[in-house]
Parts: sequence; C-alpha cells; structure tokens
Amino acid sequence: MTHEAPILVRLEKVTKEFNGTIAVQDLDLEIWEGEFLCFLGPSGCGKTTTLRMIAGLERPTRGEIYLREQRITDWPPQRRNFGFMFQNYALFSHMSVYENLAFGLRIRRFPSNEIERKVQAIARVLELEPVLHVRASRLDLSTMQRVALARILVIEPQLLLLDEPLNNFRPGLREMMRAELKRWQHQFGRTMVYVTHDQEEALTLGDRIVVINAGRVEQVGTPDEIYWRPATLFVASFIGRPSMNLIPVQYQEFDHQAYVISPDLRVPIGSYRDDIIKTTSFPNLILGIRPEHLLLSDLSHPSHFVRFPAEVDLIRPLGRKQILDVKTRSGHILQMVSLGGKPIAVGERIEIAFDPQNILLFDPKTEKRIY
Amino acid sequence: MQQRGWMAWLSLWGIVLVISLATLAPVIWVFSLSFKPPQEWLAYPPTLIPRQPTLENYIVLFWPGNPVGVVSEMVRTAEPVPRPFVNSLIVVPISTALSIVIGFLAAYGISRFGAGGNFLPFSVLTTRMFPPIAFAVPLLVYYRSLGLIDTHIGLILMYTTFTLAFSLWMIKGFIDGVPRHIEEAAILDGASRWRVMFTITLPLIRGGLAAAALFVFIMNWTEFLFALIFTSRFAVTLPVQVSRYAGAVGRYYGPQAALGILASIPVLIAGYLIQRYLVRAFTFGLVK
Repeated sequence: MTHEAPILVRLEKVTKEFNGTIAVQDLDLEIWEGEFLCFLGPSGCGKTTTLRMIAGLERPTRGEIYLREQRITDWPPQRRNFGFMFQNYALFSHMSVYENLAFGLRIRRFPSNEIERKVQAIARVLELEPVLHVRASRLDLSTMQRVALARILVIEPQLLLLDEPLNNFRPGLREMMRAELKRWQHQFGRTMVYVTHDQEEALTLGDRIVVINAGRVEQVGTPDEIYWRPATLFVASFIGRPSMNLIPVQYQEFDHQAYVISPDLRVPIGSYRDDIIKTTSFPNLILGIRPEHLLLSDLSHPSHFVRFPAEVDLIRPLGRKQILDVKTRSGHILQMVSLGGKPIAVGERIEIAFDPQNILLFDPKTEKRIY
Repeated sequence: MQQRGWMAWLSLWGIVLVISLATLAPVIWVFSLSFKPPQEWLAYPPTLIPRQPTLENYIVLFWPGNPVGVVSEMVRTAEPVPRPFVNSLIVVPISTALSIVIGFLAAYGISRFGAGGNFLPFSVLTTRMFPPIAFAVPLLVYYRSLGLIDTHIGLILMYTTFTLAFSLWMIKGFIDGVPRHIEEAAILDGASRWRVMFTITLPLIRGGLAAAALFVFIMNWTEFLFALIFTSRFAVTLPVQVSRYAGAVGRYYGPQAALGILASIPVLIAGYLIQRYLVRAFTFGLVK
C-alpha cells in the first residue's frame, strides 16, 4: 500500500456525543482506496462508533465525512452503498441464504435473471452453493460469516466495514478464518475497514492500523510503525505481548555526554538531546524497552550494551520462549523474553543487557514519544 | 419416563387428569346442558349425560317459537340468533385486525424511535386501569351525540381502543426482541424504513403477532359490558344475546348453553389455525 493511493473516505474533526458523553473526539482519518485498514483499541474506545458513523448508522455530533471529496455527512446509509458486517452477522434469519443474498439486489431493482446470476456467482466463490436454500437460522458460525460477507459483496459496495467479525470464533478457528479473510481481501481487492480489539488480528491483517483510545486516534501507521515506533505511551503499552517495559528516568549530562538515568540504569543517549530539552516535563522522561530487547547478558554482547543486575521473580514458560519477570535492585519489575529451556530458577541473580539503540523515550506529560 | 416406573407415570397422569377435569368441568357441564330438555336443567340429583337428549335448545336459537316443544314456547319472543352471530363476526375480526395493525405500527415507533417519549407507552395503559364501567357514562354521551349507539362502527372503535394497550405492549415486547443489527443490515443493503418494517421485522415477529391477535380476538369476542350498554337491537353481539336467555323474562338455561357452545366454535377454529405460530411466539427468545 503506497501513499499515492487515492483517498476514498475522509473524516474531518468528527465528534460523537451520546447524551453528553463523548464517544469519539475530533477524529481525523483517511481511508485509502484498496487498503485493509484496522481500527484497534480496547473495548469502549469508540472504534465501533466511528465505523457506524462511516456507514451512516450514527450521525456525527460535529465534523464532516467525505467520500471522494464529496460531503456525505448527511447521507442516509442507503445512499452510501457501503457494506457492513456485524459482529453477530445479523443475517435475515427468517429467509433462506439465497434470499439473504438477493435482498439488496431486489431493492436495487435488478432483473431476476441478473439477480440469479450474481447470487450464484458469489455463492460459487464463497462456497455457499450447497446451502443456498437453507434457512439462515440453521447455519453454523463459519457459514454464517461467509453468508454475511457474500451479502455485502454481492451489492458491490465501494467500502466494506467489518465490526469484529471473528469475535464469536473459538481460538483455533479464529486464526483460520483470519487467514480466509486476508485471502478474500486480496481476491476481491476492495477497501476494507476492520474493527478489532485483538492486536494480533490487527497486526496480521492490516495494511495500516489506526490505534484508538478513549475516542481519540493515538496513531495511524503500518503494523511495523505501530510496533517499533509507537507514537504514544498508550500505543507502546497496548501493542505487544508481553507489553513494553516503561521505566521513569531522568535526563542528565556527564562529561558532555547525555544520559538518562534511573536508580538501576544509566543509558547513554547520543543525538536526540535537543528534542529532549524542549519537552514539557524536562528532565523527567519515560524510557520504554520491549521485553524481547532485554537479554541475559553474556560475553558475546558488544561493550556499548547497557548492563544491570536483577533477580528472577517469576518464570512463565511458553515452550520455545519463556517470559521472565525480573526485579531490579530498586524493586522495579521488568518483563523480558528469553529462549525456553534455559536453566534459570526463581530467585537467581542474573545480569541483563540491552542495546541502547533499542530504547524509546516518552514525555510523561504529553505521553508522546520523543525518540 | 421408563426408568421412573409405572407408579410415577400413573401419578403424573393422575394429576394432569384431575387438573384438566377441574378446569374443563364447567365446559363439560355447559356442553351436557345444551342437550338437555327443560325438566333436566335444574334436576336434582344432576345428570352428566342427558336422560332424554334433545337438539331443541339449538333449534330454537334459530327459529324461536316456531318448532314443536316446550322450549320454543318459552323463548318465542327472543331474537333469532343469526343476527348477533353475524354482528360478532363483523365487529370482532375488524376491531382485532385494527388493534393489531395500529398496535404494531405504534409499537414499532416506540421501540425503535422512542416515539412519544417515555410516558406514552405507559399512558396507553390507563385505558385498562379503570373499571371499564367508569368509561361508560362519558362514552355514552359522546356516542349518543355522534349517533354511534347500536352501530357496528361504534363497537369497532371501542374494541379497537380498549384492546390497543394490550396489543401495543405485547407486540412491543416482540419487536424489542428483534436485534437492531438485523434491521440495520437491511438498511445498509438499501432498504427503506418501511421496507425493513414489513420485510424484516414483521416476518420475524409473525408468531408474536399471531399470539397477540388471538388474545385480542378472545377479549373482543367475549366482551359483554360495552356491548350490553351500547347496543340494543341492530348491533347486538353474541355475549349479550347469551345473556338474554337468562334474564328478567325467565331462565332458559338450555338455549343459553347451546348458544355458548356455538359461540365458542369460531374461537376454537381461530386458535387451532394459529397454534403453530403460538408455540413459536412463546419460544421466541430460544430460536433466534
């Protein structure tokens, strides 16, 4: 997905209030033609509300929505020609699968042979032919999902909106259906907006991810950007499992060399001194480091690595990997990931090393990343 | 059932039988009474099976005073039955249909759009909060000046109004049970609100509508007080007619029982026809 893709839908300062409670606040967003965009956030963060506003099911309290630079804020959902897949699929349970698929086409007054042709075509692609004349209420979950997808595809919408469509699946099946979805998206090449609270789902499916928290966009970016360059403390702690270690530190200089220090650590920071001095809470900062960047120190590590002692507090084996909770000398608990099977016991004293290149620094007041 | 043994089986059916008999006893008695000649109506000891069964009670309903026998002599002055029967068959289905249609539309608006605010659904109930007789006098005044007394339309309006609270609340419950997402899916498919209402919501609550319709039908079919007050000759309904066989003029229990049995037939037929929907209505929440 390149940045040159034309903008399909644009949200401009969109705000939604329900009885005085703000669900979505001043949200700016671009949806690019052909991309798979994921809305990711904890439940109740406003991602579904945003999706419903794009669909026209909710009217923004303030702000505008544009479709190819045409203002559609006031358009009723019927006029937008977007497909919307609900969490529970919302099939017309009193109708057969065929009738479910033909419903939108009938409304669009297609001739009956055309309807027949289109329904058969989509049924063939999504392998729904054997169940075409089964009542929708009799289907199993994964078939329901395919019917729901077929129903929104058959009207050839310009945008597909999916609201946590994999929530009802048990874990094993979930990964399978996720792969299916990704395959379908490539196959149909349509723009999709996909809402989920599952970061793994967002990271595997999305071309871009919009991280939403408390009604605001925290960051928009590719999965890699979101993971490696989180824009805010929220994104940093929300994305990744186990989540990023966040350590309060202070900025200090010794011998014309800049450091951030905590009771346990002293990390040299080279080039980003100027940005730091400009921060509001200077000299207080928050240092973030991913658990997989904390290593059990050994001699092969280069000398510029930062080392500090700690004590193993808890071991959570995960087969090939294990998660260690370690306690620093000042009592701070950090999480790290190491290879499984290493003979380590709770209470053991270890030395931890990390590459100072891998740290991120945040401003504790604005919660934004400085570096 | 097998493992529980025949004792359990027997006691279960015993209990069912006793309860059924207790419930049905009056019906059985009326049925038996309708075939009894006058001397057996109040005979002591009472008989369950008529000693001299007769169809006279039924015949005099249609030709009072005409055929042979004691009963005909007694009810010579009564109105022949066809007219009240036809009246009931006009007034009750129409008012039931109106009540259900209006109830559905109103319930939809209330359920989906909160139409009328919080107080409206409640205020509709007030029509059923007073003893019906409390409405009789003001309505009588209105009806007299509007010329609605003893007319079909007068009864239809009244029955529709007084059963509306019932159908509105019952149907609202069923509409509330239809997931909003299903309707939204249809809207996103391009359907208008009206289309959604009639092609999605209505079919989904068909069973509920049938149940509501049956209850409202029975309420209207057996309504006595308003019919007695607001009709005199032309628009007399069945319950009023039934009452006329045991009034100031005498106590003709036989024809009264016979008419009661005849009057129950349409309700039985209606109930039978929609019973498959009824089952679905009462298990609505389970089969979604």
